Amino acid sequence: MKNRIKTIVSMALVAMLVMGVMGCGQDKSVVKEFSPKYSPDTEYKLSVVGTYSNFESLDNAIERFYAHYPKGEITYTCLDDYGNAILNALAGDEAPDIFVAQPWMIGNEKYDSMFEGAEVLSDSELEINLDCLRPGVTLDMENGEIVALPIFATSYGMLVNMDIFEKEGLEVPKNFEELKKVCDKLKAAGYESPVMGSNTTTTPGIGYSFAYPMFANTVKGDRSVEGDLNNLEPSAGEAMRPALSRLKEFVDYGCIDVAKCSAEIENDYDAVILRFFEGDVPMMLCSGDVVSGTKKRESKSEAFSANPFKYDFYVAPSGDKGGYYMDSVSILFCANKNSKNLDMTNEFMRFLTSKVELGLMAEKKRLITPTKDYSLDEVYASLSGFPEDRTINVRDIEILDTAVKQFRAAAYAVINGTMTVDEAVANYGSIHTD
Amino acid sequence: MKKRYIIIINIVIVGLILFIIVKYANDRARESNQASVASFEKMTTTTEQIIANYLEDEQHLCDIWSNYINRSAEAGDPMTIDEAISYIRKAKISPEISGHLIYIDDGSMKGISTTASTTDTSDYSIKYSHISIFDNLEISNVDGAVNLTRAYTNPLNGVQSIAFLNNVKVMDEETGALRQGLLLRVVPVSRLEQKLVFLKGEYEDVEISLIDWDGSYMIHGKSLKNSNFFEYFKSYNPMSAQEYNEVINTILTDIGSMHIHNSKNEDCVIAYTPLSNLEGWFLVAYIPAKELIMNRSIDWILLVIVSIGLMVLLHFNLLLLLNFNRKLTVAAEAANQANEAKSLFLSTMSHDIRTPMNAIIGMNEMILRDSHDEGILMYSESIRAAGSTLLGIINDILDFSKIEAGKMEIINVDYNIASLLNDLVNMVQRKADEKGLIFKLDVDSNIPRILHGDEIRIKQVITNILSNAVKYTQEGSVVFSISSTKCEEEPNHVILHVSVKDTGIGIKKEELNKLFVAFERIEEKKNRNIEGTGLGMAIAQNFLNMMGSKIQVESEYGKGSEFSFDLKQKVVKWEPLGEFDAAYKSFIRDRQRYKAQFIAPKARVLVVDDTEINLKVFVSLLGKTKIQIDTADSGDAGIALFKRNLYDVIFLDHMMPDKDGIETIKEMKECTDTPNLKTPIICLTANAVSGMREMYINAGFDDYLTKPIDTNRLENMLLTYLPTDLIEQPLDEFSDADKSVDAEKDSKPIHTLLLVDEDVALLKKLKDQLSSAYNVVVVKSGEQALKYLEKHEAQLIIMSSEMPDPGGLDEDKLKRMNLKDISQNELTSQIKEFLGEGC
Repeated sequence: MKNRIKTIVSMALVAMLVMGVMGCGQDKSVVKEFSPKYSPDTEYKLSVVGTYSNFESLDNAIERFYAHYPKGEITYTCLDDYGNAILNALAGDEAPDIFVAQPWMIGNEKYDSMFEGAEVLSDSELEINLDCLRPGVTLDMENGEIVALPIFATSYGMLVNMDIFEKEGLEVPKNFEELKKVCDKLKAAGYESPVMGSNTTTTPGIGYSFAYPMFANTVKGDRSVEGDLNNLEPSAGEAMRPALSRLKEFVDYGCIDVAKCSAEIENDYDAVILRFFEGDVPMMLCSGDVVSGTKKRESKSEAFSANPFKYDFYVAPSGDKGGYYMDSVSILFCANKNSKNLDMTNEFMRFLTSKVELGLMAEKKRLITPTKDYSLDEVYASLSGFPEDRTINVRDIEILDTAVKQFRAAAYAVINGTMTVDEAVANYGSIHTD
Repeated sequence: MKKRYIIIINIVIVGLILFIIVKYANDRARESNQASVASFEKMTTTTEQIIANYLEDEQHLCDIWSNYINRSAEAGDPMTIDEAISYIRKAKISPEISGHLIYIDDGSMKGISTTASTTDTSDYSIKYSHISIFDNLEISNVDGAVNLTRAYTNPLNGVQSIAFLNNVKVMDEETGALRQGLLLRVVPVSRLEQKLVFLKGEYEDVEISLIDWDGSYMIHGKSLKNSNFFEYFKSYNPMSAQEYNEVINTILTDIGSMHIHNSKNEDCVIAYTPLSNLEGWFLVAYIPAKELIMNRSIDWILLVIVSIGLMVLLHFNLLLLLNFNRKLTVAAEAANQANEAKSLFLSTMSHDIRTPMNAIIGMNEMILRDSHDEGILMYSESIRAAGSTLLGIINDILDFSKIEAGKMEIINVDYNIASLLNDLVNMVQRKADEKGLIFKLDVDSNIPRILHGDEIRIKQVITNILSNAVKYTQEGSVVFSISSTKCEEEPNHVILHVSVKDTGIGIKKEELNKLFVAFERIEEKKNRNIEGTGLGMAIAQNFLNMMGSKIQVESEYGKGSEFSFDLKQKVVKWEPLGEFDAAYKSFIRDRQRYKAQFIAPKARVLVVDDTEINLKVFVSLLGKTKIQIDTADSGDAGIALFKRNLYDVIFLDHMMPDKDGIETIKEMKECTDTPNLKTPIICLTANAVSGMREMYINAGFDDYLTKPIDTNRLENMLLTYLPTDLIEQPLDEFSDADKSVDAEKDSKPIHTLLLVDEDVALLKKLKDQLSSAYNVVVVKSGEQALKYLEKHEAQLIIMSSEMPDPGGLDEDKLKRMNLKDISQNELTSQIKEFLGEGC
């Protein structure tokens, strides 16, 4: 009897041990997706510089990297006046190993030297798997080399209060006609302005978020106008007409009360989020960057804390067949090929370039992942499988910032009634911008 | 104690030890941790002073530059901005430090640097309008204290730097006007970080950060993520806004430390202190708690080692204990066997001696009863005395055996001192007379009559002393003195002073120590013709010790001895004893020849004994009672009679061949086909060792009577167990001489008391107590009492107050009492009062 009890106890202990070991193994298998090239004892010190004052998603990625290479240190520094400072920093004695690049820098002569000094990530020797990225956000240089890794993507559209739609028994509108009908019902239900947004000329503003993707789609459909647009030729202003007309119709139909937006939303970021969290706005026009600020502000909003609700990001349904998805890159990482510790710099870049790491970083920042897998953040689930013909990415158009600013100013003028659509179209190239 | 209890106790002790170790270790660890944190805080304040000194030094160097430039202006020869920068370029030693001089009077924040841009080596121009580092600084009126910017990116080389500020006055080259400028001594943060490396001291993982009012870092360690410490804290230490504000306020206003969680949710300690002479800057030293706090795993290892050690010790002790237990068990078994052998020996000896003694004493009793020849009576009396002595010896051995076994108990009862003295004098007088010694009595007439104590043992002690005195005195006298004095401490007690003085052989001083040693006899050789076991005085001393006293001896060799002791006794009745001589003479008168207490011609008794002579003795002793006695010489024969005839009482011997008394009674009890289902069966045995009574009662006997048979006890027992209707007054059959004695006695008539109670044992006890003064008849019920009174007369009927009144009892003679609770003295007193005897 005693022997039997001993056997049972021993077997139980062995089983627990085996299960424990298996448990440990399972944990490791998750991390094993990345196979380190170098010894875990490798000592290193890397610096990353960028524009974000807080980069928690990178901090988290660094911590995960430490799991493979614990004997090193990666620091992140936010540079003041980044656009100028990065060039001097790269030329200086304390040049960063990894630096942030922004999409507008590509093609800008000022930054040619910066990209020239960046490691070619598409070099097969580096074994960086760029296939996990969406082609639309992979920015290659003129020679076809990829020197910058997209970290976050962004877009323009609207935050939708899913609880209101569920409560009112409505579906999120897919095209402009549906939008009008939904707005009618919401107004009937007491929502004065079914759609709201920041009445500014900035990218998260009403005009840009709602109409710019449509404008971009127009340009995508006829890229011959691109040159004139970039040269601010007044004749190119016609390209804005479809988008501005739809914007005007959107306002005139009463989908949005611009005056109310001006009165209740002071700026294009915090105020947008906090007003949306009040819980009585069915749809809030914004950019992906605004969406990225929602997670941290949930706790800051007393209204949302008291009455939390489910919200998702959708592209604005501005077109007759549906909305237009601007698949834009937010920021990119470049590796400094002159890094004093180039091997580990490239190893870190290789570590980051995976759907898991980029997905986790995007999920933490609540921006859109540049990878093909949108599944890590359900807020952006609506973008998964979005039709290609209504998706516009950086390869599809090359509109310079000056042209974009003209559109933003035109859109602002139209929705605020300071210009008609015709006036805005006619004045392209000379519309006053801030 | 059972093995499992030992294990449990050991485990509890082990647990207790482990608990104490853990508590001690925890206490020490807590103290150590507190000391570590205090030490960490001290390191932080020391570091703060060094950093503050460094920053002051840097500011001082900045001030030197500005002072030099300003003195030129004050001297009326202001420097141009180029000249000022040229001066600084010469003055500064360290290549990584640069000087920036910008105009602040026009808000352009433009100027030149000592070093060129890294991207254009010919470009020394500098512009601070894009960098918001002066927001919280009063740059137009730098007051000379340490004025420091936050960490910012040096626009010329992209290096994170801090800048020390001071105002300068320089001349505008174009206009010649004196303009207000701001001089910045720009120091790379890395330079400061390098200095901090040497400040870590004993802490390998400490990370030192400098933060401003907003929590923004000047420098920070790798663990502190975010660009702002407060943001970092908030991200990983969720709490309410109020709590958060309190924490921030504490960090900004106090010097101290606190525990926080880092980005991995690990416990960490931060120590904080403001930088001296540098308003708005704070030092925060960060360290993982595991480095600072004592590693408890060491305690656990210690604990495990101690646990294993204790468990090994426990097992070792258990094995040892088991081994000892095994040996002890063997030894105990051997001791038990020896003890059993001793008990068996004593039992056998007692039995084997008492059996023939029964015949000797019994038959001699018959001679004493029946013979009228003085010579024969004299011989017979000698036999009785010798028999009595032999019995005393056997009793001594048995008593000593009881004392050794720890089974001797002092049983206190109320007793009459007169009765006790009577018995003593009766016994000793006869022996003294036989030896021709003068036996003198000196009895204090003031001794309270009724005392409370162990009468039997007191009597035994004095008897032993008196017997010794008579034995060892060849001529002269033995003086027995007894007196009492009141006990001062306890008012209801007296101290009895007992003394026996003889003119015997005396005891040498060197022999005195042998006196109370068992089996030791004084001058063995010389006194070997004197009978005795050497146990008497040892037993007496033991008894007195048990009663809180001891024997004192004074002796002069060849002249005599005096044995004395003082004994405290509780007084029940303070009535003085009075003149004992009269009482004694009365006793002597009462020492009559045998007379049966009763006759019961209709009673039928069965006695079973394998020794024929004993059967004869039994029958003879009860001859005068006229009881019908059947005898059986074996258990089987007894059972046969048991089944056939109705008996009122059955006496059954224990040790019989073939079927002993125990087996016989067992068979009798199992027998249903008998008229004797309710007949009391009394064990008649020569086995008188301790514990026998319990054994016989447990075996099913109703009572127990030892051999040699004492006629009085036998008759008393029969009076107890025989149905009262069978008991009659004895016939007067004595001679004229006897009659004359009786006539004398008749002058003081013996009253008959009829005691009625359901408790037979109580009745028996009362009968024993009262029989010396009264003819006591006991019955168990009112009906039996009425039946008795149909043929007999009783002067007093004492009936238990708990019993129902049967009706028909003479109310004048009836007295109701609670017999269970009344003391003997009270009972005697009440009887005397009722009978008008006076006290």
